[in-house]
Amino acid sequence: MNRIKLLFFATLRDRAGTKSMELDVPEDMTVQGLKEKLAQEYPNLRESMKSVLITIDREYAFDEAVIPPNAEMAMFPPVSGG
Amino acid sequence: MQPANLPTIFSITEEEIDLNELLAQITLTSTGAAAIFTGLVRGETLRQGSAQTSGGDAHETEYLEYEAYIPMAEAKMKQVADEIRARWPTVEGIAVVQRIGRLYPKTPTVLIACTAAHRDTGVFEAARYGIDRLKEIVPIWKKEVSPDGQFWVEGDYTPKAGE
Repeated sequence: MNRIKLLFFATLRDRAGTKSMELDVPEDMTVQGLKEKLAQEYPNLRESMKSVLITIDREYAFDEAVIPPNAEMAMFPPVSGG
Repeated sequence: MQPANLPTIFSITEEEIDLNELLAQITLTSTGAAAIFTGLVRGETLRQGSAQTSGGDAHETEYLEYEAYIPMAEAKMKQVADEIRARWPTVEGIAVVQRIGRLYPKTPTVLIACTAAHRDTGVFEAARYGIDRLKEIVPIWKKEVSPDGQFWVEGDYTPKAGE
């Protein structure tokens, strides 16, 4: 298993009810796999998983990417700075 | 050819944005022009088609609450600055600053400034590109608080691989 840190921002933080969590994921888990796992374990997040943006080590990551060990991941809605 | 050490400033801050100080930091002896964009909190948003004088159809904002994924946001601001330099090699200094926290109407929230030797070097377009890209890829969000309640503002851009 790989230990990862997962950060939540904006609507995702509100729905997750936490700013961050640490979790263990299988070594071959992809971003898509993590989204499915979270949608199952946290029903509040299920709706958000459709349009969520995901980063691995501060770069945008996409469904097929495999999550590396000790990754710092983040989940958030499309950005709205300015 | 560009000098190796052109000033590039990128930061997320809770402090007031100091335009004069930032401008001084991105001004070289060869600089003769600066294009500066700043965004502000709009207290009243008129819906399209409503007359400014009618006053009946305005949406009111009490304040905006900004947050950022700070280390990634600063890295993406640097990327925006790099993209500006690749497109407009004549740009000399670049500043990209976003203020976060609770910001009230009339308050500057963001500043993008580009300097160059002359105004006809693409410096206006460079600053425009900077604010457009910030709104696409830099991880910052704002929650609007109005008399009707509060809601997160969400953008509509999905970054592509390599962005």
